[in-house]
Amino acid sequence: MNDQTILHIKNLEISLKTGHKILNGVDLAIRPGRVLGVIGESGAGKSMLGSAIAATLPRGLAISRGSIDFDGLTLTDMNAKTRRDLLGRDIGFIPQEPMSALNPSLTIGHQICHHLARIGLRTAQSREDRAVELFSEVGLDRPRDLLKSYPHQLSGGMLQRVLIAMAFASHPRLVIADEPTTALDVTIQQKVVELIARMRETHNTSVLFITHDLQLAAEVCDDVAVLYAGRIVETGAARRIIEAPMHPYSRCLNLATPNLSGPKARLMILPGTMPSPLERTVMTGCEFAPRCPLAETRCHSSRPALEEIVAGHHSACHWPERSGMIAPPATSAEQVVPTLGSAMILQAKGLGKAYRQHDWLGRVRRVEALRELNFEVREGEFVGIVGESGSGKSSLTKMIVGLEDVTSGTLEVVGMDRATTPRERFFDKVQLVFQDPQSALNPRRTIGSLVTQALEARDSQPSAAERKDMVAALLAKVMLPPDVAGRFSDQLSGGQKQRVNIARALCSNPRLLIADEIVSGLDVSVQAQILELLRELRNEVGFSLLLISHDLAVVRHVCDRTLVMCKGEIVEQGPVEEVFANPQHPYTRQLVAAALGPVVVGR
Amino acid sequence: MMRKKFRLPDLGLVIGGSLVGLVLICGVFAPWIAPYHPNDQELLYILAPPVWADGGSAAHLFGTDSLGRDTLSRMIYGARTAMTVAAVASLGAMLLGAFFAHLAGYFGGWVDWIISRTVEVWLSFPPVVLSMLLITGLGIGIDKVILAIVLVDWTRFCRVLRSEVQVARGQDYVAFARLIGFSHLRVIMKEILPATLPMLITLLSLQMGISVVVEAILSFVAMGVPSDVPAWGQMIADARIDMYGAPWGLALPIAAIFVTVLSFNLFGDGLRRTLDPRHAANRGT
Amino acid sequence: MIIAILRILARRLLAIIPVFVVVTILVFGALRILPVDPAQMSLPPSATIEQVEAKREAMGLNRPIWEQYTIWAKGAVAGDLGESSQYRMSTAAVVLDRLPATIELVICALVFAVGVGVGGGLLVFSARDTVLETVGLVVISAVMALPDFLLALLFILVLGVLMPIFPVNGRLEPGMQVPTQTGFLLIDALLTGDFRAFFSALHYIALPVMALGLAFSPTIMRVLHASLVNTYQQSYILQARLRGLSGREILFGQALKNAMLPVVILVGTQFGGLFGGTLLVEMIFSFPGLGNLMVKAMQTSDLSVIMAISLIYCATTLLFNSLADALAYLLNPRLRNG
Repeated sequence: MNDQTILHIKNLEISLKTGHKILNGVDLAIRPGRVLGVIGESGAGKSMLGSAIAATLPRGLAISRGSIDFDGLTLTDMNAKTRRDLLGRDIGFIPQEPMSALNPSLTIGHQICHHLARIGLRTAQSREDRAVELFSEVGLDRPRDLLKSYPHQLSGGMLQRVLIAMAFASHPRLVIADEPTTALDVTIQQKVVELIARMRETHNTSVLFITHDLQLAAEVCDDVAVLYAGRIVETGAARRIIEAPMHPYSRCLNLATPNLSGPKARLMILPGTMPSPLERTVMTGCEFAPRCPLAETRCHSSRPALEEIVAGHHSACHWPERSGMIAPPATSAEQVVPTLGSAMILQAKGLGKAYRQHDWLGRVRRVEALRELNFEVREGEFVGIVGESGSGKSSLTKMIVGLEDVTSGTLEVVGMDRATTPRERFFDKVQLVFQDPQSALNPRRTIGSLVTQALEARDSQPSAAERKDMVAALLAKVMLPPDVAGRFSDQLSGGQKQRVNIARALCSNPRLLIADEIVSGLDVSVQAQILELLRELRNEVGFSLLLISHDLAVVRHVCDRTLVMCKGEIVEQGPVEEVFANPQHPYTRQLVAAALGPVVVGR
Repeated sequence: MMRKKFRLPDLGLVIGGSLVGLVLICGVFAPWIAPYHPNDQELLYILAPPVWADGGSAAHLFGTDSLGRDTLSRMIYGARTAMTVAAVASLGAMLLGAFFAHLAGYFGGWVDWIISRTVEVWLSFPPVVLSMLLITGLGIGIDKVILAIVLVDWTRFCRVLRSEVQVARGQDYVAFARLIGFSHLRVIMKEILPATLPMLITLLSLQMGISVVVEAILSFVAMGVPSDVPAWGQMIADARIDMYGAPWGLALPIAAIFVTVLSFNLFGDGLRRTLDPRHAANRGT
Repeated sequence: MIIAILRILARRLLAIIPVFVVVTILVFGALRILPVDPAQMSLPPSATIEQVEAKREAMGLNRPIWEQYTIWAKGAVAGDLGESSQYRMSTAAVVLDRLPATIELVICALVFAVGVGVGGGLLVFSARDTVLETVGLVVISAVMALPDFLLALLFILVLGVLMPIFPVNGRLEPGMQVPTQTGFLLIDALLTGDFRAFFSALHYIALPVMALGLAFSPTIMRVLHASLVNTYQQSYILQARLRGLSGREILFGQALKNAMLPVVILVGTQFGGLFGGTLLVEMIFSFPGLGNLMVKAMQTSDLSVIMAISLIYCATTLLFNSLADALAYLLNPRLRNG
């Protein structure tokens, strides 16, 4: 292009040693002071961009074609030393997980002053003053005390501010932010995004913003590039790509994301998974074709090039203009709202939980994790619990299923008192779907043995044939092919594991299912699959659900009612639409505002 | 995506395993392999050098010791002693240590406190000193050596496995097993033990190497097996006196211990690499 | 800061007292079960049965075992550890006479092991992803299969017999004398300014130290290497690289401090092994320290000496464990503010 670009990636190709391509023909350019978003699901190769610029590609990967120009210099031709000198000085980085991005055994002051010394501040005094100045700029309180702290003494949000301060300390020309808010709570996310925007303006820096979150990209970026299977499928102004996408993948991603406002529609389900680098090698057509609702024979045989459709808006599709026609599946039979039974499945009165905590001197402290909880779940009802980390929502789930004891109040589950009835009597009726399928599925059991594990605890054992039938039925319920029964969990994808996790909980026909953050950490398209599965199961199987999530839109999409938890207390509860459309408690308002973001983007 | 792929077995596992197998065969079939009875003395033919040195003869491939006993035969019979001690003592130490490790790691609380403190007291003794003290009390003999090793080295298993059990205990699938009504015993046997088994087997292999060394030490200071049972440590002690004239007599049993311990270590490390699911996954892709 | 360190150290030291008391009870109990009569042992073989009986009464051997323990404990606190039956003199004096030699040996060996171990670990790690790393790791596993007593014998064989470079017996050249001040030969020789004696002592201690130290160092190398590999996978190392730090700055400025933590813990927990190793190594090199004394005491059933030396072994091991723990606290701020 012209001199007006800070970063210009030209026809970049990154390959494995085996020749399989991770990135393929990527062209990107950022103009001064602009924010370019790169959107993609895991496996799309978006994190490779930052690594390619910094020359920190993982072992076994290498740039096999193309070049990266930065500020008139060709990075890919430089020697390692000159290139390293640019890092931290002209190119700053904001990491994904602030909690682990600073050295745990050195003070914050040591680390930032070391960085300032590197970018040219000579005296210790000047470094310290500059550090304090930077900390104030990113909105950290008591900056001078912070210098003496260690990273573990600070919260994730504070650490991210420290890292942002370090990234902008040298007035860099370019800052690369790789999912900078993913690991943070919703309300903090919002503040960090605003901070990055403000810092960009004051320092007139260009930002490469890598994210999986469409809404966030719309909010933060000027331009957006959508990455799928190592190729850019669409690029253009952020607003246009969100509002009027010209590529079916962008459109589908948008339709698969649950939203917090507007009409409640079913989520778009993309069948299958993104092709792996191995599978891509043998594909001759469009990589998205196997999952694309618009695909025709031509799509499978010839790959469309990235072409300008409207001024400044490129798309790699044979029929870009048809993208708008993709619609979410019709709300089947007007979404029969299941009739709620009158029976109470769960009833909590004045429920509380206190821990005894020993500090390192051996003193015992009482910590109240939950206080005075009053709520109920009726038969067939889906109830959501929202709250940020530390709100006590995980303690609550553990208490309901009986992994922890009730310390005050009463908790009646399926007509039995949790505190006095022995655990064994509940285990068929209440089941928990764990958050992390990696940890929840024993890697040494086959899927078939996992999903029917609950039967092993019973007195009468089913015959092998009966058990086999049950496995097939359960797998069918969660829409997994029957042949996965013989595999191990390591051989499944994240979404498939989560389905197994759900199938296992359904094995004993529970009356109440508790799902703890079951979609966090999953890609948007996989999340949509799981959420729609839950809604299907509701009609088919019939159970009550307690869904714990930090994502308000997810709760709104699946649940009838919601509880909002903050610091161990329920601050608000009611039907989802009411609570999220018209929040009463200040904390709920804050949550809703953060989740909506400053820009409300319609479909 | 996941296909069964042919994988080369770990090199350490193969080399270590075959050497261990070789020593084991020597031990088991000693009477058939050894050219002489280990205690047969040929007083006319003492301190003979091995066949490759000056004056060596094919009659005694590795030479003879100060009493004219055939070094090769004594080494082969020594393998028998070493392997018996290694197998039985290590298995005993493993059973004892694994039992307490699973109790402590799974139940936590006061059970863990008591077991951990006991291990701490045990570990405050240097292991060599403790085993010698025990032998002073128990007397010599192959069974006494085995007992001493079990009583000293169970802590090694206990300490390492306990944290391994704690890791497995923290997994959600263990919580799930409790949720569906498995008893504690069943959870430990069906969910936790499979997870700790790779580490258990690895430690067992490493412990066998350690047991060989401890047996050699005890025999070396004449606190191990009785003098009519051939043992490598004993051979070293005997050969020390004549080391200026007959260095081979000292070098050969040292080499035997070295090779045996090394192969157990290689085998153990190879096992760890092969059985570790994380590692196996990396190799698969 | 210093107060915090002292407080941690004090806490650790207080915590080992109960452990140590339990150890004394166990050792005492175990030695009393032995089929040896301490009264008979402490008298000349010509003693009559009456004399032995009288001695038994005097030593309190006819009373219940816990009373015997109380008698021993009271004496021990006052510095009286009983009488050695072999030497017919105070156990405390016999033991204290040999203690400095062993301490000198073990400290030198520890320094040698940590030096070689850390150096070797860094060397192997800096050759990472090359053939040299694999070669290094193979050499490490080979040396790991050589326990200290085998190394000692090998050194004697190679450096004492085949190429007689180092002496293999005792602490000092025969005929040489150094006036005893601290009991540590190397320090005493320096204090008197006798450099010939100093180098002679160094010459004599070299092989035992190398045998002990070299047996311990591959474990250190291995742990440091693994720990560095692990540390380099942490996000903060990548971030440091993204800030443009050089390889050297990252290794020494960022990674090493974190990677040393497992090494410190290893040295703390494995110190017992090193210290126990002195027993055999001293015996092999006829080094006049505790180990030699202990072996002799075991052969002659000199109970009070066995007891005293066992307790010294335990106390030193516990002390080193605590020091390592305290050091680990210092290195890891997360523990410090726990």
